[in-house]
Amino acid sequence: MNARDAIIGRIRANRGGKAGDPASIAAAAKALLSKPESGRPRIDAGEPGAIFAAHLVSPKVGASIDEIAGLEDVPQAVRRYLDAQGLDAGIAVQPDPALLRLDWTSFDLLPRIEADAIVGVGKALWGIAETGTLVFHSGPASPTLFSFLPLHHLVVIERTRILSYLEDYALLVQDGAPPRNVNFITGASGTTDIEGTLVKGAHGPRFLHVIIVGPGSDRSNDGKRNDRTD
Amino acid sequence: MSLKAIDSFETRVEKALANPTLKIAIERTTSTARMKRAAAVAAWPDFATARDLARQIKDHVIENLDHYLIEFEKNAAASGAKVHWAATADEACKITVAICQAAKAKSVTRSKSMLGEEIGLPHALDEAGITRVETDLAEHIVQLAGDRPSHIIWPALHRTREEVADLFRAHHHRPQNSDDIASMVASARRELRQRFLDADVGISGANFLIADTGSVCVVTNEGNAELTTTLPRIHIVTAGIEKLVPSLQHTMVLLRLLVRSATGADLTQYTTFHCGPKRPGDRDGPEEFHIVLVDNGRTRMLEQGLAEMLRCLRCGACMNHCVVYRQIGGHAYGGTYPGPMGAVLTPVLDGLKETRDLPHACTLNGNCQEVCPVDIPLPTLLRGWREKSWREGLEPQTVRVALGLWAFGARHPFLYRIGTAIAVRVLRRFAQNGWITSLPLTKGWTKYRDFPKPAARTFMEELRRQESREREQGTKP
Repeated sequence: MNARDAIIGRIRANRGGKAGDPASIAAAAKALLSKPESGRPRIDAGEPGAIFAAHLVSPKVGASIDEIAGLEDVPQAVRRYLDAQGLDAGIAVQPDPALLRLDWTSFDLLPRIEADAIVGVGKALWGIAETGTLVFHSGPASPTLFSFLPLHHLVVIERTRILSYLEDYALLVQDGAPPRNVNFITGASGTTDIEGTLVKGAHGPRFLHVIIVGPGSDRSNDGKRNDRTD
Repeated sequence: MSLKAIDSFETRVEKALANPTLKIAIERTTSTARMKRAAAVAAWPDFATARDLARQIKDHVIENLDHYLIEFEKNAAASGAKVHWAATADEACKITVAICQAAKAKSVTRSKSMLGEEIGLPHALDEAGITRVETDLAEHIVQLAGDRPSHIIWPALHRTREEVADLFRAHHHRPQNSDDIASMVASARRELRQRFLDADVGISGANFLIADTGSVCVVTNEGNAELTTTLPRIHIVTAGIEKLVPSLQHTMVLLRLLVRSATGADLTQYTTFHCGPKRPGDRDGPEEFHIVLVDNGRTRMLEQGLAEMLRCLRCGACMNHCVVYRQIGGHAYGGTYPGPMGAVLTPVLDGLKETRDLPHACTLNGNCQEVCPVDIPLPTLLRGWREKSWREGLEPQTVRVALGLWAFGARHPFLYRIGTAIAVRVLRRFAQNGWITSLPLTKGWTKYRDFPKPAARTFMEELRRQESREREQGTKP
């Protein structure tokens, strides 16, 4: 008998020899999801973008943020970051049509992401407020390495694409075929492998800077920004 | 892989206890881990409810493991992955090495996987003459030092920063100038970057196998897994068959509990879902994507009443909170998995006869089950191994005689009371200043600990005295 049949056979033998009924297994699996709130912490009331931003800058995630009105302001925000960090580097821009369309004339644009890249500018597909997570789907316009090779990872995210909970993302994609890679990114690369001390920039980026695009809701931005810094 | 340990458990423990820096090193990492986990749990008032749901999800999968394995296989194959099955550790290594050899791979990068350690993959790759590069910082340290992981989340926690600094100076091409931890991490980054680019094959483990999409979820904080799995031409996943989950939605609940229990974060920095090889138009990603599903004792655990252990998410909380692990560290356990979960798993993997000491190295204080994100009854499972060891006659003769004697006494209360009455009077003769520091036949105990001097009378004698006194005073009928 091959290993596959042996493994399946042993599992079934232990349960009385029969395969389970797929319909009742599916029903049981679905029942486990009937109360999503029992499997997650409640996030604060308010606009997801504000909660997302607060999570990003919390010590747990340790990213920095910039908030701008429209996509056309992205190059300016990138310039602001480079100046603040004293970086005089070329930048590699993810081949996302929305990013490539912007006016990058004052930058030294690199044709692709190299192993020693200093600055990479990418665009996340979704944001998740609950954890301050950026979601990327790999594809021709979104190579995976953009998120892992540069030392400074700058990410553009549209405020309207910020979801509340991890499950909201799962529900959104459940009917489509997944891409080769889905990357959830929650902060810069870090390690606590030497004496439990946190050091950033282990193998991936040392800095994560998130540029949130789109008008925020004044009501939820008002004084609530840092409520959730844990 | 099991480490056919040369030393006995006792010798390993003595060695660990005699190491002057080990306990400091263990405390530095585990105390931070305990603190961060506690804060994360406190920040989620309904943590217990979620924990219960996570347990139910895992139990549902274990109950229907055949169904989910077949569903996963079908969907993974549809995504272009090649699925392999291995009944034993040896088979799993052979499959993995054969894929590397078919690709004429010279160099392989690995991101940390406990299953890889369990099946002895590092050794198998070395034997096959394939250059193996461990990319997780801790595994890199372990590889340079030529030793073994001592914790499932922080494999190098037994090394102090000074030791790591020496290792890097001896092995790195451009080592750190100063011995602060940030400079050491930067040195490892410089050293490993080119190795990522040079590798022909990348090997990772899996935290979750998602049945309804055939995706593989891997979590890391360093980003080494993504460089390992994206740059080389071939990506191989080795995963235990218990890693199945029905869907992405179920995965989210387990992710929350796994990460909080391991490091106290809400999510790891990188949570990646792999689904098949490079697609048309992709600028990066592996051309071949293999998944090796490994049994290696897991179906035997179902048969032996250890199904609850298959819930384990490998978070490491049980060892961080174990009073025994914190004293002796991971190496003393002698298996791939240390701490409470290791003491349950190692007898499955290496046989109870060789490992019967492990279930005994437990105070049954219950801390491990309390912090377990899927409520595995670790103390109960450990007691189960003790009973099995007794039934199979693996306990030493002295233990059997002593327990037999006690059992006789327990069945004959009158003789038992006479025995204890004599014993306390004899014991008192060995006491000095209220303590007994040495006793015949109990060197094993008194070598490290003193006995308090027993009271002058046994509990029963004292009770009788009190009762008769009360009767005389008429306070009690």
